[in-house]
Amino acid sequence: MGKLAIVLASGELEKLQAASIIGSVAATLGTEVLVFATMDGLMAFKKDVVEKKAWKAGELGKGMLQANAPLFIDTFKQAKETGNLKLYACGMVMDMLGLSMDEFVDVFDDKLGVTAFLGMTEGAQVLFI
Amino acid sequence: MSRIVVDARGSFCPGPLMELVKTIKDAEVGTEIEVLSSDESSAKDIPEWVKKAGHELVGVEKKGDYWSIVVKKLK
Repeated sequence: MGKLAIVLASGELEKLQAASIIGSVAATLGTEVLVFATMDGLMAFKKDVVEKKAWKAGELGKGMLQANAPLFIDTFKQAKETGNLKLYACGMVMDMLGLSMDEFVDVFDDKLGVTAFLGMTEGAQVLFI
Repeated sequence: MSRIVVDARGSFCPGPLMELVKTIKDAEVGTEIEVLSSDESSAKDIPEWVKKAGHELVGVEKKGDYWSIVVKKLK
């Protein structure tokens, strides 16, 4: 069923939600899914941000929070349980800001550099979100 | 013939699909699973998923304000 790589660079809730839905449904179909969270897309997984639900959100994103729609973090977690989906945190951002893995919610499989990610995603379709 | 009912009414896309996926994973081959969804896009999307995943779509029926989607696990 091929390979899908999602580069998650945006911290906007709507985009995070879309990425998690596309990635998780692809994983249920047997597609190998790799998610690389970087820039604001990585910061969206910080424990304090998640706790306060302090994502950048427009009208739709706010509506999603109010409607108690399943959040991207839970969607990703579920996808990891049911299919072959892996999430990686961008090492560069973490090193630059001196962040450690335990400052993020527990969804990441590893911390990666961009070269390693590119190696992994060879032959994959790439979505940049 | 055993049948499992998954009541995913009130859950938004891709909730109903994800509920089905979880259930189908643990079910025995030949089991029929009926998903109840109040989300119209899921009623359209689930048959698509069933086709791609290689299971059998037994039927889709609108029942008042929700849909009943019956799927048979083939593998």
